[in-house]
Parts: sequence; C-alpha cells; structure tokens
Amino acid sequence: MTDEQGTPGAILVVGGGISGLTAALEAAEVGNDVFLVEKSPSFGGRVAQLNEYFPKLCPPSCGLEINFKRLKANRKIRTYTMTTVKSVTGGPGKYEVTLEIAPRYVNSNCTACGECTIACPDEMENDFNFGMDKCKAAYLPHEMAYPRRYVINKSALSSVGAEAVKAVCKYNAVDLEMKTETVKVQVASIIWATGWIPYDPTKMDNLKYNESDSIITNMMLERMAAPNGPTKGAIVRPGDNNAISSIAFVQCAGSRDENHLEYCSHICCMATFKQMTYVRKQYPDAKIYVFYIDLRTPGKYEKFREARMTDKNAVFIKGKVAQIIPEADGSVTVVAENALTGNKISQKVDMAVLATGMQPSLGVQGAPVTLNMDSSGFVISDNDKAMFAAGCAKKAADVVTTTQSSTAAALKAIQVSRR
Amino acid sequence: MNVQPDLEFIKYIKGAGGDTLKKCYQCATCSVICPLSKDGKPFPRKEMIWAQWGLKDTLVTDPDIFLCHQCGDCSAYCPRGAKPGDVLGAIRAYAYTFYGWPSGLAKLATSAKNLPILIGIPALVIFVMWLLSGAMHIPTKEHFATHGYQQFFGTWGFKWYAKNIFFIVLFMVPAAGLAVLSTFMGVRKLWRSMSEKAGVNSSFRPSVMQFVTDFLWPSLVEIVKHSRFRECKVNIDRVKGHLPMMLAFIGLFIVTCWSLLKNDVLGLFWPSLHGPLSIYDPIKIMANISAVALIYGAFVLWTNRSKMESEGLSTRTFYNWFLIWEVMAVGVTGFAAEVLRWLGIPTVGYIVYFLHLVAVMMLFMYMPYTKFAHIVYRTTAMAFEKYRESPFAKN
Repeated sequence: MTDEQGTPGAILVVGGGISGLTAALEAAEVGNDVFLVEKSPSFGGRVAQLNEYFPKLCPPSCGLEINFKRLKANRKIRTYTMTTVKSVTGGPGKYEVTLEIAPRYVNSNCTACGECTIACPDEMENDFNFGMDKCKAAYLPHEMAYPRRYVINKSALSSVGAEAVKAVCKYNAVDLEMKTETVKVQVASIIWATGWIPYDPTKMDNLKYNESDSIITNMMLERMAAPNGPTKGAIVRPGDNNAISSIAFVQCAGSRDENHLEYCSHICCMATFKQMTYVRKQYPDAKIYVFYIDLRTPGKYEKFREARMTDKNAVFIKGKVAQIIPEADGSVTVVAENALTGNKISQKVDMAVLATGMQPSLGVQGAPVTLNMDSSGFVISDNDKAMFAAGCAKKAADVVTTTQSSTAAALKAIQVSRR
Repeated sequence: MNVQPDLEFIKYIKGAGGDTLKKCYQCATCSVICPLSKDGKPFPRKEMIWAQWGLKDTLVTDPDIFLCHQCGDCSAYCPRGAKPGDVLGAIRAYAYTFYGWPSGLAKLATSAKNLPILIGIPALVIFVMWLLSGAMHIPTKEHFATHGYQQFFGTWGFKWYAKNIFFIVLFMVPAAGLAVLSTFMGVRKLWRSMSEKAGVNSSFRPSVMQFVTDFLWPSLVEIVKHSRFRECKVNIDRVKGHLPMMLAFIGLFIVTCWSLLKNDVLGLFWPSLHGPLSIYDPIKIMANISAVALIYGAFVLWTNRSKMESEGLSTRTFYNWFLIWEVMAVGVTGFAAEVLRWLGIPTVGYIVYFLHLVAVMMLFMYMPYTKFAHIVYRTTAMAFEKYRESPFAKN
C-alpha cells in the first residue's frame, strides 16, 4: 500500500489479537488494502498471554509467529500500534476514520537492544502479568512482542529515569517529546476484532478475590505457568511463593450469572482441564478439586476432558463455589454444595483459581461509534453498514472458532470492497 | 428414578410467588449463601429441584422449608433469578393449606378473590351477635366516657359474668379454638411425617418435660431473640419490622390475659376494677406501647416488602400481603378506637371498634392457613431440628 490515506476498497481492522491478525491477513492476501489498528504497543492480544493453547497444548508462539511472518511479508497491510479509533464518519464504502496514535516515546531507530530497560531506575506494575510482578518504565511489552520495539511509560518515569534512558540509548531512539498524533484514513468497511477482557473478579464479593493472595484468576495462572511469566513458569502461591499441595478450580466464577456475565464463555472448562495439566506436570501428587455447574467440553474436546478426569488425585464436584474463606495460614477454604449428594463441602486448599469468563472489551470500554451490540456488549455484524464483528468481540469463543469468524468477517469485508 | 410430577402442585407454586421456579439450574449457590442453612444437608437447592419435579409429599414433610426465614440472600445471589426465597415461601403457603383443617376454610384463605367472604364471615357473625345482644345502639357521650367499649354488647345484672365478655367469648373462643385445633392436628401430622422421613426411632421418646426443656424452650429463646433472622444479610431491615411486631404480640397477649383476669375474676370482688383503664395504668402503658410497636412493625414490613417488589427482588403475592394487611388492620383499628374514646366520639368509635373485632377475629380464625401459621410450624421445625440431632433421634 503506497497511499497512507487508503484506497477506495481498503478495510480497517480494529484490534490486533489473533482475530484481527487473521482477518487482516486473510483480506490482504487476496489483494485488499488493510489498516490494522492495535491499542496496546504490540500485536498478539490475549493469545500472547497464554502459556499453551488447548487442545494440542502448544505454546502461543506457534500460531502468532507464523501470523507475524505473514504480516511482515505483506505490503498490503499498514499496521498501527498504540492506536485507537476516535471517530468514524461517512458511510459504507466510504468511511473516514480518525485514528489517534498515543506517543510511544521510542522511535523507529530502536533496535530492541534492551539497554534502556537496564538503565531505567523506575518500576511499575506489569499489566501483561496482571500485576503479579513489576516491570521497568522503559520496557519491551513481552518476549514475543511484535513490532519488536521498546515502549516508555512516561507517567511512570522519573526525571532521573528520563535522563538515564536518554543517555543510555546509542541509537537516539528515545524521544520523550513525542506527541499524540491523529491520522485520517478512508476505508470501505470496518472489522471489529476488539477482543475481550477477563471479567473483574472483585465483582463477586462472595469470592473474596481481594482478601487473599491465594485466590487468582485462570488468566493469572496462565501467566504463572508461562516460561516468560512472573515466576518463570513455576506455579506457586502468590504472596509467599510456596509450592502448593492442593488447588481448587472455581468454574463459572461470574459466568452464566445474570448478576455478572449472563452467558457461558465456552472456554473456561477447557482452560481448567488444560491448567490441570500444568499443575500435574509440576506437582504429581497435588490434590486438584474442580467445582462446576456443568462441564462444557463439546465435540472433540470431550476426549480432552475424559483424559483428565481419569486423574486419581482430581476430584470433580458438581456445585458452584459460592463462598471462599481466606484462612490465617494463607490458604483458603472453598465452600460449595455437592448437588449430586446434597452435602455441603468446605474444602481447604492452598490456592483457588477463579475460572472467570470473557467480557467483550467494547462492553466495558464502550464503542467509539454507534455499533449494533447485544445487551452484553458483543458486536452484531451489520452488513448494510459494512461493520463486521470478528472473534471475541462477536462472541466468547476459543481460538479456533475465533479465527474462523475472522475469516468469515474478512470475506464479508472483501465483498463490500468489490461492490 | 421414577418421578411422578404433581402438575397441580407445580402450578400452585408458580401461582403463589414461585413463578421463577423453573429457572433454577441447580448450581447450588443458594445452599452456600443461605446464612440459616446448616452444614450437613443444606437448603434450598434440593427443595428447588423437588419443587420443579412436583414432589409435593417430599416438600411438605421437609423441615427445611419452615426453617427458611425468606431472607432473600439466596435470591440476591441466584445467577438465574430463580428466587429460591420466594419459591420456598410459596411451598410454605402450600403446606399451610395442606395441613389446614377444615380444608374448605384453608383453601378459602389462599386467594384475594375470597377477601369479601373472608371479611364477611366474621363481620356477619359479630353483627348478628351485636343484634342478638340487644345492645345495638350508639351510646350517649356520657355513657361512652364512663364505659368506653365495655358495654358494646350491653350489660346485665349478673355480676359473675359480664354480658360484654360473654358475647366476645361466644365468637372469639370458637374462632381461636378452631385455629388451635387445626394447628394441633397439622403440627402432629407434620411431626410424625418428619420423624418418619428422617428415620427417627420413636421407641425412645422424650418426656413432655424433656421435650420442652431440650427442644421447645431453646427454639423459643432463639425466636424471641431473632438470632437466626439477624443472620440474614440482604433484607436485614425486615428484622427491624418483625422484632417489634413479635414483641407487640407478646405484649398484647399479656395485656389480654390481665384484662381477662381483672374483669372476669378480680372484678367480681372489686367491681370498681371494671371500666376503661387509666392512661397511666402500667398495663395500659404496656398496651399502648405494644399497639404503637405493632403498627410500626407492620409499617416497616409493609414498606420493605413494597420496596423489594418494586425492585423485582420478590413477587407480589396474596399470601405475603394478607398477614401484613391483617396485622395493620388490627393495630390501626385498635389504636383508632382508643383515640376516638379519648375524643369522646361514640358513633365513629363504635364503628371502628366493630371493625377492630372483625380484624382480631380474622387474625385468630385464619391463623393456621395464612402466613401467620409460621409461628407454629417454624417453631415446630426448629424444635424438630434440635430433636433430630439429639440422642433420642440418633439411637
């Protein structure tokens, strides 16, 4: 693409996770011009945060790396990171979109040498690891980050830190005077692949997430189990970093619940079975308790579930955990009623994992334009307006389903371009 | 398992405030959230599926349906809006009709449609009594000032028994007697079926004394202290209405007993004891405080329930409202009658007093079939809960 303002048939893809990447590549590889916009400093989205995918249990680099390679090779796609959609005017076939690019404070001279991180004295909470560790104010978003360029969080940087990072950079890549930029692009259609946010566990007051370090979410466990995570892959109890001898998985934490997320996120059961594998690998004798309402592992995932249910040290209890009691020794007691026996169970465990669901990002943050959305904040595709939903912006889904819906959205967008 | 659903029962529950029943998907959040549910076999998850399946016989003999205080904590946390609190309330409403005798009267007291008859019966009885007493006229102001309502049914020379008391006893005692008989039969049936279901060996039975000291008295203490009710979280405000109301009933019970003793026994020897009490009499003070507490309690429960219903936390049912209306009617008419006596307005006073008698008779007569029955059935279930855990039941 030579024209920065776009060509008449260009497509805007909002969100650079596995969904947005797929939609952008599918459209670009058949010859359409694509603008791919990502809010965070790097592409890869939630998938980049995973330790392994189910059901094959391969690392996310598997799928992301090949997509990044396709992205690099494709001149039809113009990528924007740290960029959000500000406004959309016009109509289908001739939208004018205003994009806002937040300052990265690191320019394209960056070689990702990492000297600035070493030199930077200022630390901040690491959002990529859900605050389980700290990172420097000058940082690479994560090991696999693409584009491979450092970022500076100016609000976390002290004046001493600013001097230090500027002085240490041999390539003159640090530019703390960088300003917010606005870009206008012309596109025929827009694909919303804005993804999801883990449901806020503090909203379930009975699960006491805030009151114990031993209560984590499934995505936190994912980061913990990841070799590039806060514990370098060791599953230990946050707070005291002790090894665990028992763990409880709390399914449907805030899901299928009209007080929270009224829908089923489809992935949490499989994620728990997958995470059982992580735990089992590190702790061959640890007791695993899974509290569930229903185990939803449809189709080929049934085999995955069956294999894990043969685990002799795993107990499955049909009953939702409705109370968690933080104990003085750092452990927690999860309370549920086993609906099959009618007995109330209070199980003390070293750690509890809340299998929280996926909330559509736009449902939390709001959409920059008027979109057709359902009551939960999922985007409903509108063919007449040439606004398409893909991946978890459309519905909560696993990676496979997400990429399929992205391909479908790409096809719809291509049709608009050729109208 | 061969389940024979009782469709009529399910229909009844749905119509009596349990319309959300079928939304339950058995996640068991309610059983954990419930502050009153014991650790062994908690409720109300199991009651929800029994109700969905229409297992009427299992439910009416389940002590847990009576142990529920309808805090609403379960309904607030229910992920499906199945409102287990309301469903259990509807099951209780069914149980009171189920145990109620005579069944025709019990059924009559379940529907707002029957309100004209429900009010009409006592109104007619009292009106006929008034007619028969021959005292059916409005007194003069002077007479009203001296005797108040104490000669509503007239007076006669026979000093051993006042005519007024004679007539009041004539309709109030049969009304209350019917209620006592009905609840006695209901409680006996409930206790037997609960024991049978719990597999309690009845060859070792506690003596009456043991029963009272070990099971009944501790339950009554719990009730008076409201110790269970206070564990409710979501609708803790209901305690603020229920507690004064209960204490008011106890107060008014004492006042009624004293009044009976004074007029019918002591009055024989000291005729001066007849006549309205002075406002400074300790018993009168107690009566007035109780009356205020009764109206206040009913008002709190009234507003609280309206609020819950407008917020969609509870479904509006005749069962829940009938008792609040009844208590409010008793309190307001009683208090108004007194005020009218002070003001010396005999005509309105007599009409209000008549309405007061009707309200009190309704409260007595329909007690076993309405929400009021919980004072007996819940107490029974609480005593049974203690009995079930005792060595008598375990051996």
